Amino acid sequence: MIKLTAITIMAFSMMGCSMVKEVKPWEKETLARPIMQFGGIHPEVTKFESHTYFSKEASRGGSGVAGGGCGCN
Amino acid sequence: MQLINIKLSVVTTLAIIASNALHAENYVSVEFLQYDENDNRVSVSAPTLSASYDIGTDYTVKADFVHDAVSGATPVWQSDTASGASKRDDSGDYVYKNQEFKEARNAGSIMLTTRFANRDELYTGIDVSRESDFDSKSLSAEYMHYTDKSHNQSINIGASFAYNEILAYDYDTGSGASNKETATSINIQGGMTQVLNDHASAKADAFVIIDDGYLTNPHATVVRNYGTAEQMLVTENRPDKRTAYGVNLKYITMLGEDLSYQANYRFYTDDWDINSHTIDNDLLYAMNDDLTFGLGLRYYTQTEASFYNANKDFFNDEEFASSDVRLSSFDALTYKASVDYKINDDISYNLGAEFYSQSTGLDASMITTGLKYKF
Repeated sequence: MIKLTAITIMAFSMMGCSMVKEVKPWEKETLARPIMQFGGIHPEVTKFESHTYFSKEASRGGSGVAGGGCGCN
Repeated sequence: MQLINIKLSVVTTLAIIASNALHAENYVSVEFLQYDENDNRVSVSAPTLSASYDIGTDYTVKADFVHDAVSGATPVWQSDTASGASKRDDSGDYVYKNQEFKEARNAGSIMLTTRFANRDELYTGIDVSRESDFDSKSLSAEYMHYTDKSHNQSINIGASFAYNEILAYDYDTGSGASNKETATSINIQGGMTQVLNDHASAKADAFVIIDDGYLTNPHATVVRNYGTAEQMLVTENRPDKRTAYGVNLKYITMLGEDLSYQANYRFYTDDWDINSHTIDNDLLYAMNDDLTFGLGLRYYTQTEASFYNANKDFFNDEEFASSDVRLSSFDALTYKASVDYKINDDISYNLGAEFYSQSTGLDASMITTGLKYKF
């Protein structure tokens, strides 16, 4: 876990050094559009998808800590 | 000069609040999922009701309720001479075939988002799920902190605790008795979100999941000592602990004026020897203010659990044994398409279709349709 976190932070920091450009709040119109949200335009549908994968595959996690268990797996 | 600074500060604050509030909206939505597997296996019909309500600018309450009606069949080892599928018979041979079942699940969740003076956010939630043989209760909390004034970078840390109760049937003695088993799950996740430029963002998270307790599937069976006088069909047995680690990386960018692309990669590993890689790609095209199309492709691959084997003549006196195909090594592809239509300023309609195909032979279709009313 510690190794994974360290690698992730290092990768992000390196990416940050080379790719990040400061964006002012009034320049965030594009970033604020519904099609630019990580959760998609329908989080409820994303939840369905996650539940399906949870019941048919042996791995899970990474998309937040909220959510309950299910007897389907 | 001081006046200019104050004005700039006010403008900046308003802009930050505005950018945060662009998606803050009250809504009620109804979604319906129809999931069907090939070979007359599992079918799920699941209506969902969701609602989100802002209390001022500092709080948002979100709740949803889903009812799953599950029917069909799932493959397990069975005696091919038994007249009743649930009755153990160790005298004959065994076949891996579908066993019919019917189940209903009701699940609900409520989440409160609290925004502080510096616009940091705290998410707290409760999830409850109930089936005839499985109950789950979960508490979660996650904190998100902006590390800069322009809100271009944030870090987040969260944790959840789930308590599950499982009704385990005493299949091994064939008595039909059952007893209540329990399991807990702790999920910890931390990460960072970074705005890369005015049209791209990235998010990286690391997570650990610790499962402890009864992790066996009470409906799955294995054959032990096949071909000997001691051959028998028994409930599978999984380790009572499982620790998993992983990272999840996300990247989203605009490819054109109205076309966004999102890429997700997840790596997962656990002490059952299961490693998996997931690559998810999604395109969203806003044709105009009212119509948005989506296309997606997801690839998933996993290695098998150390105690998995599909054969009936494999297991003898091993402590842990499972023939559940979900613990096997396989690849899967999901093809996704969706359309979202804004009927007017308040109401939108969405339709989605997905096709899921595993290398195990499992194919499934998933249709989602819904209405959202904003107010």
